[in-house]
Amino acid sequence: MLSANNVSKSFGGVRAVRNVSLTVPQNTIYALIGPNGAGKSTMLNLLSGVYQPDAGELAFTGQSLLGLAAYARVRLGIARTFQKIRLFKQLSLIENVMAGFHIHQDTPFWKHLLVGDTGRFRDEARELLEFVGLGARADHRAGALPYGQQRMLEIARALATRPKLFMLDEPAAGLNPAEVDFLLNRLVDISKRGVTLLVVEHNMDLVMNVASRVFVLDHGEPLFEGTPREVQAHPAVVEAYLGGEFAAESAA
Amino acid sequence: MRRWAYFGIAIALVAAAPWLIATPYWRGILVLCAMNVLLALGLNLVIGYTGQLNLGQSAFFAIGAYATTILVKTYHWNFWLAAGAAVIGAGVLGLALAAFAVRLRGHYLAIASLGFAVITYQVLVNWESVTEGVRGIYGILPPVPSTVGLYYLIAGIALIVYWLMDNLVRSPVGDTLRAIREDEVSAASLGVKSALWKAFAFSVGAGVAALAGVFYPGFVGTLVPDAFNIIESFTMMAMVIVGGMGTMIGPVIGAVVLTFLPELLRGFGELRLMVYGLALTLVVLFMPGGIVQLAKRK
Repeated sequence: MLSANNVSKSFGGVRAVRNVSLTVPQNTIYALIGPNGAGKSTMLNLLSGVYQPDAGELAFTGQSLLGLAAYARVRLGIARTFQKIRLFKQLSLIENVMAGFHIHQDTPFWKHLLVGDTGRFRDEARELLEFVGLGARADHRAGALPYGQQRMLEIARALATRPKLFMLDEPAAGLNPAEVDFLLNRLVDISKRGVTLLVVEHNMDLVMNVASRVFVLDHGEPLFEGTPREVQAHPAVVEAYLGGEFAAESAA
Repeated sequence: MRRWAYFGIAIALVAAAPWLIATPYWRGILVLCAMNVLLALGLNLVIGYTGQLNLGQSAFFAIGAYATTILVKTYHWNFWLAAGAAVIGAGVLGLALAAFAVRLRGHYLAIASLGFAVITYQVLVNWESVTEGVRGIYGILPPVPSTVGLYYLIAGIALIVYWLMDNLVRSPVGDTLRAIREDEVSAASLGVKSALWKAFAFSVGAGVAALAGVFYPGFVGTLVPDAFNIIESFTMMAMVIVGGMGTMIGPVIGAVVLTFLPELLRGFGELRLMVYGLALTLVVLFMPGGIVQLAKRK
């Protein structure tokens, strides 16, 4: 569904991503892992159009993504969240989600002028808030939410674009175990609805429990790709990333 | 339904105003006030809702005034036809200016708009064959003869503009504009082409400023470039910010307060700009949400 071919990106001499090729098959939960500074977020920014690659090919459902701006990729069915949460903080929860329906707006302009709020997508927006557990807070200000709920709101907002491929940048970062559990269930639900997921993640529980394929990046270069079980067993990965704790765990 | 009640009250207030303050001088101030409300409404869409700094709104006010006057006096157009052309012309110019400026990141739209206002002012001063330069154009007639009639006309238009804009900011278009104001990267991740919407807001704001400008020359009777000095862009911004930007009623309150306050203090000399500067400073320091913030707190 999504493929990158020999993609590279440098920032002022620092080669953040080097010759990365990956293929995300449809209807998978695909995890992108690696130590800090491995280039995971850069990779996600290249896929979503925040950056353009210096070299290489990017394609989504057979169409090249090169040169396409971030906003244009959304119309193809690619949505994302951000590592550092980027909500519309002064707006209410429901307004945040409503803004997510932008590309699906089909109301003629004169109606915006003469009627204003037609209520289009409002029910769907409420359903999305319910889905992420924020139904009761629809009219609260987004910036006033606790951290974990801000993450869930960002997910609801991105889902409003009705993506085919949903990319999440460290969705579990800063969440407590109960919140991680809830997130995990929601990700599986989203996947069951036929949305392909690409998850950049640090949280190993999440990766090992829900991912069907795992891609390991190290220092901007591909290290390994396989099933979670294979990744756990791969000595280079264990050394580069999972470290002592995990090595001990898998040995035990 | 509450919204309609508020509109009813607003219409009643607008209708009653010239009979509550029934001296010719104060009725003139009411006309100015209605124009300032329009100017503040137009600028608020850009600054308050879309989060883009426009430092050149005076240029579009000028274009409305000069284009209408020249089309009527030199080319003998019908006033309303000329007014329509002036408003659309200003909107198109605003769109063109914004379309170039928003491609660049950061504050280029603000700088471009400021530059545009400076250039427009210079054109008004120097293109004497068309604008009469600093000598000015004299004997301009208003579209309706009486001051009260002119007030009702402009205030009625301001009410309609308010109503349309209020609808717009409640619609999904409003969600999109506010999304751009809050976070452009985030808006792009939802498929929003922010350059397009920024240019749209800027263009509508320019058109509304021109709409106010259409009535200015007939009210004053003369047209000189100094009425459109870039300092006027600053006074419009003061109205929006003092009233409360990003709300619909705030800029209206700001325009009313900052039209009448300097007049009430006229005994102390030419204090207008000082009042504006002081009000702006105090609001920014102590009440960033503007006057409407007071009402919301309760």
